[in-house]
Order: sequence, then structure tokens, then C-alpha cells
Amino acid sequence: MDEYHNGNEGSFNSEEADNIVKECIENVVGGEDYSQSQVNKWTASIVERCLTQLVKQGKPYKFIVTCAVMQKTGAGLHTANSCYWDTSMDGSSTVRWENRTMYCVVSVFAVAIA
Amino acid sequence: MSDQLKDKHQRRERRTVKVPSDGSHGVRVKEATIRKNTEREIIVSSMDELGHHDENTRMVVTMENTYQTAPHKRFPVPAVTHILKDVLSSYLQQEKYEVEWSQKMTKTICEVIRARVKDLMIPRYKIVVLVHIGQQAGQSMQMSSRCLWDATTDSFACYSFTNSSLFGVATVYGVYFE
Repeated sequence: MDEYHNGNEGSFNSEEADNIVKECIENVVGGEDYSQSQVNKWTASIVERCLTQLVKQGKPYKFIVTCAVMQKTGAGLHTANSCYWDTSMDGSSTVRWENRTMYCVVSVFAVAIA
Repeated sequence: MSDQLKDKHQRRERRTVKVPSDGSHGVRVKEATIRKNTEREIIVSSMDELGHHDENTRMVVTMENTYQTAPHKRFPVPAVTHILKDVLSSYLQQEKYEVEWSQKMTKTICEVIRARVKDLMIPRYKIVVLVHIGQQAGQSMQMSSRCLWDATTDSFACYSFTNSSLFGVATVYGVYFE
């Protein structure tokens, strides 16, 4: 009975979200070097693409997508998140990506409706 | 309403269970007809039960219907911003960036913020807290976020703190559970 119920809506599929996000990042900043003038455009573009791809899944979720792009200078960065929600239905996924000149951390939070 | 229906079915079932035991003491002819009726009743009630069963398991897991279309109390952005300012300033004011310490501090600050926002007791709101602590090393950084939600009910609050050796950014998203 539990399986039947979960099979209908299911909890958030974080693997699928991971793949979607990785693809979006590659498409936007794939072969680029860090550039102060373009980084604003990049973060906006990554976030918007991720959101549209996630929405295409058609599941009844509200999404929060966050992207942080940082230049590689040997500096350290720590990120943490804490969520107060329904653990059976809601979920999150974080993707860390890097290339030669920058780090990119994208987090997706999916909050179920009803 | 469906709760009442379920009670009716339970009562009906209880009756059907009782009758055979009573019927065993009664007259045979009557017993046969009673049994037939009970069998029929059992079938009917179990069919209905099947229809309702899924709904009932769903209702047990999800929230009950409150007929509430909008939140009574909205996400209080200024109050949450004040909490973020308070927590970040008190934890990071005179500190220097260190790897181990920052790792622990990020998680601690996250938990503290979540606990304090929960204390505000905003009903039916789900909370997501994000904290970033980084070293100030002359690097450039850009953070952005996009949300797909109901703009009339959901909101966010954010605050950033810097000192000479580190920076800290905290963001809280409040999402209404319909």
C-alpha cells in the first residue's frame, strides 16, 4: 500500500535533477574562463535554464534554484543548508562543478504542493 | 464528510460481523436470509471501501482539508532579515577564516537560523535556509537564484556580512504549503 501511494507522486528524484543541472551548467559555462563582465549573465542563464528544465517534468512542485560562481584564487568557500519541510515529499540536490578558472555550485530545492 | 462515510461503513461492517454470531442462536430460515443479506452488505461495503481506501490512506499522509485559500499570516521578511543580521553578526563579528572552524560554523549557523525562524511560528510555511561562508582573498563571486513559486504567498530574506578575512551570506526562503 505504501508502494502504491509513493509510486503515484513519489518523492523528489534528485538523480534526475542532478543530471538536468549538470547539463545546464555545461551548456552555459562549458568551455569558458571566469570573466567579471559575463558572470552575471552566466548565473542568470544557468538558473533560468535549470528552472525551465525542471518545470518540464510536470510534477506538482515549487522550485528554488540557487547558483554561486566563484573565481579560483585558492580561497575557501563553505556552504550549508537546513530545511524545515516534509521529508517524504520534498527534496534537494546540489551540484558542484569546476573548470580551470572557476567553481560553480548549484542547489535545487523542490517543495511539494499539497 | 468522507470521514462520516467511513464511519458509516465501519458501523455497517460491525453490524455485519455481529449478525452471524447472533444468527447462530436464532432460527435457521431467518439465519439463511440474514446471512445472504450480510454477505451482500459485506460485498457492497468492501467495494465502497476499496474506492475510499486510497483516499483514506492519502488523507492520513497529507493534511486535512481546511478550506483555507490563502495564508492567514504571510512570511515576515523584515523579521527574518533581522534574525539573519543578528545571527551572522554575533557569530562572525571578530572571527578569522579557518577551514575547520568555518565548516562547523556554517552548519551551526544554518541550524540556529532555522530554529529561530521556526520559533516565529508561521503556520503552513516550509523553510529553506542557505548559508555560505567564504574567505576574502580578492576573488570575485556572483550568486543568483530563481524561484518558481506563488509570488503572492512565498518570499525570501537574505543578508550578507563581511569583515576583513571572511564573508558570510545567509538566505531564507519561505514557501507556503497549500
